Amino acid sequence: MIEIKGLHKWFGSNHVLRGVDLGIRDGETLVIIGRSGCGKSVLLKHMMGILEPDQGTVIIDGTDIFSLNFNELDQFRLKLGMLFQGAALFDSLTVCENVGFSLYEHTNMLEAEIREKVGVKLGLVGLSGKEDLMPSELSGGMKKRVGLARAICNEPNIILYDEPTTGLDPINADVINDLILHMQNQLKVTSVVVTHDMTSAYKVGDRIAMLYDGSIIGIGTPEEIKNTSNPVIRQFITGSAHGPITLQEESNSV
Amino acid sequence: MEIHKNFENVRRLVSVRRWLAKIGNLSMILAYNTGGLALLFKDAIVVMFTTKLRWRATLDQMNKIGVMSLPLVFLTALFTGIVLSLQSAYQLRLFGAQQFTADLVSLSTVRELGPVLTAMVVAGRVGASIAAELGTMKVTEQIDALKALATNPVQYLVVPRVIAGFFMLFVLVIYADVIGMLGGYVISVFKLGMNSHQYIKRTIDVLRYKDVITGLIKAFFFGGIISTVGCYFGFNTTGGAEGVGRATTLAVVTALVLIIAFDALFTAIFFFF
Ligand SMILES: Nc1ncnc2c1ncn2[C@@H]1O[C@H](COP(=O)(O)OP(=O)(O)O)[C@@H](O)[C@H]1O
Ligand SMILES: [Mg+2]
Repeated sequence: MIEIKGLHKWFGSNHVLRGVDLGIRDGETLVIIGRSGCGKSVLLKHMMGILEPDQGTVIIDGTDIFSLNFNELDQFRLKLGMLFQGAALFDSLTVCENVGFSLYEHTNMLEAEIREKVGVKLGLVGLSGKEDLMPSELSGGMKKRVGLARAICNEPNIILYDEPTTGLDPINADVINDLILHMQNQLKVTSVVVTHDMTSAYKVGDRIAMLYDGSIIGIGTPEEIKNTSNPVIRQFITGSAHGPITLQEESNSV
Repeated sequence: MEIHKNFENVRRLVSVRRWLAKIGNLSMILAYNTGGLALLFKDAIVVMFTTKLRWRATLDQMNKIGVMSLPLVFLTALFTGIVLSLQSAYQLRLFGAQQFTADLVSLSTVRELGPVLTAMVVAGRVGASIAAELGTMKVTEQIDALKALATNPVQYLVVPRVIAGFFMLFVLVIYADVIGMLGGYVISVFKLGMNSHQYIKRTIDVLRYKDVITGLIKAFFFGGIISTVGCYFGFNTTGGAEGVGRATTLAVVTALVLIIAFDALFTAIFFFF
């Protein structure tokens, strides 16, 4: 159970999050949609304790993560996995060292055991046998899948995905969708998926929430979202240039 | 229209309020960065003594900061020694005191030029590369990824670099001192016709323990400054490739200014004690 309460975040004068309230139930997959630059990545980073809120807090399984000290927060983070938007692989390490990073760092497992486990995770994302490549030798889509393997390597019970299918071809995107579903169905993990990809959102999401103007303007099952009367959500999911969302607001997007 | 625009520009230029605002703004940035640097340094020291050291990363950084700076430091020190001996011989000759060239080269190299010049060239080479490396990691979210994988970026990235900075500058300065004196020796003996034995004796006799130790204390801290400043500006990089470029420049400039400022501070302190 992740509870986000009244979260505000400023970057200088840029008020990115303006009071986000959101509850994510155990074992569900919540999809967060929203246009580029609206603060989706920023919201995810708050759930991981990477960014600190200016106001409000995030409570995971009853623990206010911003009340923890450094070491406690690190212990806590081992239960969470995160796939970054740009994969964020360490470019001085091999694929194997990247995927098994937390095993090398936080367990006493032997090299052979780690390699075996990394091999299994790489198999899940369709990259068996790529252990000894360097990140610079991988394509964008492959990097993303290595990033995903790294996020799930420690068998976390909460996984945060930042645009997992962006930049992938439709077939690879569907492999990722299946993997997200697999994680949820087989391992009962709680997932938060940030995406613009509505196909993926409908496929993996138990519920879909829309972040707009710094707060959650609507949340519901895929059916409810498809049939929403909210004009902003309607415009976003149908991908129309005409409606209440105007280009004006994209001026501060990334 | 044109006149109006010019008038605007002039008014902006002479507006006291704008100048004050600018000065205020710059002071804020200065205070912010000074505080940030001090905090990062404190964090690094705390983490250094409370967690296990990463030997492999530290040795790797020692190689990058120390061993790979050897050619650069060699050239700088050699030429400094040569120039120093030529310049002082030129002046001392007027008084018929050419033999004091050895004393002068030896003292000024060990006390001042060895530590400062070495720190400056290393700041250019190493400070820039640390800032660029960590800055790239920052803008590609690798620093965030470290945190997400429950690893403290200060422990993983900063501590090995700061330790390597401390010790390698110490070693590099010893090396630079020797090379600098060698440069002075070569010129004085083979070009200016001084007595080799006497030159060596003067070089060594003039040095007190205090001279050597204060020089090396300076070197030690300059190393810490270079690494910490590089890490700080790397960590605070924003805005893609352009931001990395900015961080690199800022790191080198700040390190150079701090080296000179701390050199003055140390020299003043050692002067009185
Ligand atoms: N570390 C940061 N420093 C300053 N501004 C930031 C930072 N991270 C994000 N922002 C700003 O926050 C806004 C939201 O960014 P982000 O969460 O990346 O958007 P997206 O919804 O596309 O993921 C953008 O305007 C971006 O410029
Ligand atoms: Mg994003």
